[in-house]
Amino acid sequence: MISSAVTLQLPALQVALPLISAPLGLLLRRHRLVWALAVVVCWMSLAISWLLLQQVLAEGTISYAMGGWAAPWGIEYRIDAVNAYVALIVTGIASVVVPYARRSVEQEIDEGRITYFYVLLLLCFTGLLGMTVTGDAFNLFVFLEISSLSTYALISLGRDRRALTAAFQYLIMGTIGGTFVLIGVGFLYVVTGTLNMADLADRLPEVTQLRTLHTAFAFLVVGIGLKLAMFPLHLWLPNAYAYAPNAATIFVAATSTKVAVYALLRYIGSVFGPVISYEDVPFGEIAIILAVIGLLSCSFVAIFQSNVKRMLAYSSVAQIGYILMGIGLASKTGLMASLLHLFNHALMKAGLFMAVGCMFYRIGSVRLDDLRGIGHSMPWTFAAFVLGGLSLIGVPLTVGFVSKWYLVLAYLEQDLWPLAFVILFGSLLSVIYVWRVVEVAWFESPSPRAAEAREAPLAMLVPTWILLLANVFFGVQTELTVGVAGLAAQILTEGLR
Amino acid sequence: MITVSHYLTLSSVLFILSIAGIFLNRKNVILLLMCIELMLLAVNFNFITLSRFLGDAAGQVFVFFILTVAAAESAIGLAILVVLFRSRKNIEVESLDSMKG
Repeated sequence: MISSAVTLQLPALQVALPLISAPLGLLLRRHRLVWALAVVVCWMSLAISWLLLQQVLAEGTISYAMGGWAAPWGIEYRIDAVNAYVALIVTGIASVVVPYARRSVEQEIDEGRITYFYVLLLLCFTGLLGMTVTGDAFNLFVFLEISSLSTYALISLGRDRRALTAAFQYLIMGTIGGTFVLIGVGFLYVVTGTLNMADLADRLPEVTQLRTLHTAFAFLVVGIGLKLAMFPLHLWLPNAYAYAPNAATIFVAATSTKVAVYALLRYIGSVFGPVISYEDVPFGEIAIILAVIGLLSCSFVAIFQSNVKRMLAYSSVAQIGYILMGIGLASKTGLMASLLHLFNHALMKAGLFMAVGCMFYRIGSVRLDDLRGIGHSMPWTFAAFVLGGLSLIGVPLTVGFVSKWYLVLAYLEQDLWPLAFVILFGSLLSVIYVWRVVEVAWFESPSPRAAEAREAPLAMLVPTWILLLANVFFGVQTELTVGVAGLAAQILTEGLR
Repeated sequence: MITVSHYLTLSSVLFILSIAGIFLNRKNVILLLMCIELMLLAVNFNFITLSRFLGDAAGQVFVFFILTVAAAESAIGLAILVVLFRSRKNIEVESLDSMKG
């Protein structure tokens, strides 16, 4: 009896749980307690999203009327295979990052501010989950702002002085992005008089030729593009990732751009529908061109970075290029590859940033010069980095291979050979930048700092290895990810030729 | 007679002014925050106008949410600026650009 009542409320709990625990954490004050609370909340959220995914797979789309107000008037939470999958990514990453964060945060952030760090992390978590589960266009904007505002503050907690300027830069760019999304939503509201996504999807086909609709589309794509660091709009990302506290970088890098990609997919796949997005508006072509330029240029830039966190940040922009290449293709296989890469990139980037965070914990720097010879003093951490790097390159038996395989397949399906070669060339570039770190860390004589370093504490090493073993596990056992991603791609491409 | 298009023109002028302000301004960082505020206000103006002419109050409810978001945004922005000013004694845009790793 009780369990069925709880099951019905799962969509609301997914968001409400972290939202309520954030102010609760502020009241607890003692940072160890807040940390414990955050761990429990993240694990419970993971369980909730897992249950939701099972429910969606068994019974189809779940619709939840917030506060009992029926759909077009009240806010609807609508969960199908697409967002159950994304919610699983976000909660999964959070439940590994928060346990890892304790040691790293205690070292990097002043004692008095650690509580705020966890509270902000929980708020950011709330915002991301809210964006994922909501079925209301304006509600999505509100959650987007909740997650962005807390991310600005998280970044500014970084020890480095430049963290402040990076946070400010992101604040300006992020707000412009948010405003663009808002204008897009406003125009949609004007043409249809509704903001419920399912309702919008019903009404938009009647007004496809209106110029207002195309304007709304453009504003939404640019706005969300800023949030997901689509190529020319990515300038905020490298600094923000490089100077934020390590734990924040891991969480933000692995989840926030992914959720923004989800928002984009939701708009082009469900709200506007693939017919408007790909046929009336040349979104696909533009996305592919920008993705290819971004993929190649950012991989090149990554090769010349001397700060490893910055290098990984540029590599993130390049990986987003892969995701957009899949989206731009407007085919089921392409979207499936993008969704797979969403999951897989979250796993590998989080793993890599965690390994780098472990090195930072011991030597207090992530510059290549200081990492000389670190492979000998921290073998386990370094092995984790190498494994993550292999996954980033896309070596078989890792997750990176699975998504790139499907992406290449999607391009071969459409006889676009040159672009399939671009994907392979991108992998080649990532071999170069991963190798640079390996060469310095393994083959050069230790720097003074690296010589004194010991292996990272188990509290950090274990979460790192959990993620990297997940990289291998999901690279071999592809049933879950490929199955759900295929189902999600099916939903998003409905009505396409 | 003032029609919808007059209001919408005004709001788009405000919007373009604010975008231009963000990209042309090379001097003062506080101006950036003001431009962002102006941009959100232009959007608010849009919402209010359309809600008035569509005869649907929901648009005006959204404005309250947007005002809250805008307030939070500038609060965080100003907080960052205060900390930044304490450490650098200078908040010019050029000094923010010196982010070389």
